[in-house]
Amino acid sequence: MGAFLLLAGLAAPPAHAVPSFARQTGMACSACHTVFPELTPFGREFKLNAYVIDNIRQIKGETMERRETLALNSIPPLSMMVQISYSHTSKALPDSQVSGALAKDGDVLFPDQVSFFYAGKIANDLGAFMQLTYSGAADHFGIDNTDIRYARYLSQAEPDEKGASGSNSWFSTHDVLVGITLNNNPTVQDVWNTIPAWGFPYVASSISPSPAASSKIASIGQTAAGLGVYTWIDHSLYVEFSGYAAAQTGGVHPLDSQAANVLRGFSPYWRAAYEYHWDRNSLEVGTYGINASILPGGGHPLSGPTDRFTDTAIDAQYQYIGEESIFTVLATYIHENGHLDASVPQGLASNSSDTLNTAKATFEYAYRRMINASLGYFSTTGTTDPLLYAQAPVTGSATGAPNSRGYIFEFDYLPFLNTKLTAQYTGYSKFNGGSTNYDGSGRSASDNNVLYLQLWISF
Amino acid sequence: MNIKQALSLTLALLALGRVSADEITPEAQHAAAQIAATTCSTCHGTGGRNTSPIFPNLAAQTAPYIEAQLKAFRDQTRADPDAQAYMWGMASQLKDDAISAIAAHYAAQAAAPGHAGDAKLIGRGKSIFEQGVPDKGIAACATCHGAHAQGNGPFPRLAGQHASYLIKQMLVIQSALRQAPVMHGVIKDLGREQMLDVATYLESLGPSG
Repeated sequence: MGAFLLLAGLAAPPAHAVPSFARQTGMACSACHTVFPELTPFGREFKLNAYVIDNIRQIKGETMERRETLALNSIPPLSMMVQISYSHTSKALPDSQVSGALAKDGDVLFPDQVSFFYAGKIANDLGAFMQLTYSGAADHFGIDNTDIRYARYLSQAEPDEKGASGSNSWFSTHDVLVGITLNNNPTVQDVWNTIPAWGFPYVASSISPSPAASSKIASIGQTAAGLGVYTWIDHSLYVEFSGYAAAQTGGVHPLDSQAANVLRGFSPYWRAAYEYHWDRNSLEVGTYGINASILPGGGHPLSGPTDRFTDTAIDAQYQYIGEESIFTVLATYIHENGHLDASVPQGLASNSSDTLNTAKATFEYAYRRMINASLGYFSTTGTTDPLLYAQAPVTGSATGAPNSRGYIFEFDYLPFLNTKLTAQYTGYSKFNGGSTNYDGSGRSASDNNVLYLQLWISF
Repeated sequence: MNIKQALSLTLALLALGRVSADEITPEAQHAAAQIAATTCSTCHGTGGRNTSPIFPNLAAQTAPYIEAQLKAFRDQTRADPDAQAYMWGMASQLKDDAISAIAAHYAAQAAAPGHAGDAKLIGRGKSIFEQGVPDKGIAACATCHGAHAQGNGPFPRLAGQHASYLIKQMLVIQSALRQAPVMHGVIKDLGREQMLDVATYLESLGPSG
């Protein structure tokens, strides 16, 4: 469990915006992003339409019946991202080897992350966002967020030509896009920036401690494979049903007791959202969630009872895109019910059922897409469980409570649309259940406050 | 060059490059409808009518104007920031016959409805549109754009267009970010308040003007 908590603490949020889309569409970053990676309404349309809008020469193939068998970009939509960072925590972390000593205070990662992307069209109506990432802290190269999707219109509202009588069928007056997504992270397929995969903060220190508890929907990315169907009606109503199965990379295969936190069977995921547009504004309200059955593994066979988690979330996003000013408000609340039928007998949890509530709210203001300021609030509360949130220096909890609370202030300067300089400060008023001596080793929540400076270039 | 000479030159140049509606094949018409439905509509709305002032309504726009703009995007001679960000890419692969077919497609759509605004602004805007601003030497917009702002050949339809889009275009033309030889001269002395007046008036005009 300690190792798991440490890994959870080291997991940095994903961070993506890809110039390969710009190469394919011929459109500037600002068409799809307010300030990357946050999407504009057009960016959402582009993604829901399977990343296929293209404006470069195509290599074509057709049968005698004129069926298109190939429509390939003549220039592959490839791109690269480099992040270089500096992290400084309020109090240095303990030395990993020498008891009582402290690690270096202030850490440069060069790189923090390097990613390679294929992001764009594969064929007509079929596209992909695929990312391979090298992490400087982990010194590891692996699969990152991936979303392969197929989408096409089931119906499109018939244009109202002058003098035409028009048809009265429902489909003749509505745009109905339907799609299939194959991805490796629940919510990575989503198009709003409220959900875990694409929510604020878009970048964060990968070496500073982060709270031990997080909802399952936010923590099973890259260990799951999901297949789902969605529809987007009249550019306003989004409905999706997906299912996720275990798909862990590395280790022993087929998966066995050496693997940890393995999804059992098919975990259903749902999403419904409505977006309303007026003038330069858009407002989205929605719900999403997952029902996941998880085998703890980690030395225990992948059989028998499972832990069952139901995450139910609501979210809302408001966006105003003016000529010079852009305002965004993001909010989400995730309620998790966990039934720990596997973890309790294995000594990994104390309670047969736990709850966990996570809330996030963010306000962002961007000026001319060059200067961006964000203020975020986050809170995690839940059932006290001394085994699940065990005591450990820095990463653990002395009380067994998962409660954490804090704020994030971020300032970004973008000299170019694909270059971002970030100064971010994360402050904790509560961390893993306490404000002072939260870990039983004398560390305070505010000791984990972190200043994070980052250069992010995409090309 | 005075305004009349510039007008004549513009008309002559546009006439040279035009493909008449009669020359558009059924295949090109079908392809244009497909492009309009699957790509253009993402921003410009079904049938070229949308609610976002970032993107202009295209419904009932004059075909010669759409043709000229698509070619200017393709050739990168229309270079205001939004043109670069959105339309340079979108128009880059369009052939002349496709451009003509797309233009004809949108010209055939029913115009967007007007949106009523502040009556005071509309009154002042109507006066500018119909009579110009004589003491500043600003000609009446209706001279080129039509009595009901319905457009006239290369001069675009303005009726029912988003007010903030119209203001932005006047600003980028005034600052020479967007090249429009006739309009440079006409609106060079038009103030921000007058732009708001005339744009509010134009946005209020429905399909019949």
